[in-house]
Amino acid sequence: MFFHIVLERNMQLHPRYFGRNLRENLVSKLMKDVEGTCSGRHGFVVAVTGIENIGKGLIRDGTGFVTFPVKYQCVVFRPFKGEILEAVVTMVNKMGFFAEAGPVQIFVSNHLIPDDMEFQSGDMPNYTTSDGSVKIQKDSEVRLKIIGTRVDATEIFCIGTIKDDFLGVINDPATV
Amino acid sequence: MSGEEEENAAELKIGDEFLKAKCLMNCEVALILDHKYEQLQQTSDDPTSQISQVFEKSLQYVKRFSRYKNPDAVRQVREILTRYQLTEFELCVLGNLCPETVEEAIAMVPSIKTRGRAQDDEAIEKMLNDLSLIKKFE
Repeated sequence: MFFHIVLERNMQLHPRYFGRNLRENLVSKLMKDVEGTCSGRHGFVVAVTGIENIGKGLIRDGTGFVTFPVKYQCVVFRPFKGEILEAVVTMVNKMGFFAEAGPVQIFVSNHLIPDDMEFQSGDMPNYTTSDGSVKIQKDSEVRLKIIGTRVDATEIFCIGTIKDDFLGVINDPATV
Repeated sequence: MSGEEEENAAELKIGDEFLKAKCLMNCEVALILDHKYEQLQQTSDDPTSQISQVFEKSLQYVKRFSRYKNPDAVRQVREILTRYQLTEFELCVLGNLCPETVEEAIAMVPSIKTRGRAQDDEAIEKMLNDLSLIKKFE
């Protein structure tokens, strides 16, 4: 899910940026620093949308750098266990398939794909029901439920399932 | 915030910080990111160099999965859903997935039935009808 939240960050600024454009410099450095980053707590920072306030700067001993506490609003993407969302399939193999929902990667193991869907290899590997009516392949859109998340320093990785009511393929690229 | 193990969106356990935060539907994110993308294009000669992969992937994703394209419709969806005493998170899941039946809606957002709220099937059905009307007239 995407959220609009307020975060705080202490920005260190070199004295050469002081002057009339201090605020602009601070904001552009903030965007460069935080956009595209990911933390386990807040998820992926997609875009800074506004500045709430910039606190008083504090000169650091010995260096001349100044630290400003900056409160900013941003759009973040944070997946949650139990959340249901839509995703695009990016890769299919006999272990299961990978899908992407925005910046996050989700793996759906073949144990969590309905039992009536069989893996078919070939140049377009896919999972298909025995009657051929439903097919999951690259670029399919699926609705899945996140059942687990793993967080490391720069990425969040999810495990999902489509073995539940109202989950599975939304549309098939071949038929559209 | 409670520990990672206890997190469960189906029971609305998403941590205080996010429960109180403003959730965004995919269509709203699309409007925000599109606007930001345009701004970047105007202010710099080489906008692609300033755009992170996360931004690009998110923009592609929300454009693909936006149920409502027109800003007025997006506003109406939020307006209608806020009438039903939903939390922000529930509101956005419904707005994103647009379930068609009451059963589906409850499967998508199990928390609307729990927590002892007076959310009966009729109210949910009316809500889903209202949503599909917006879609029709967009």
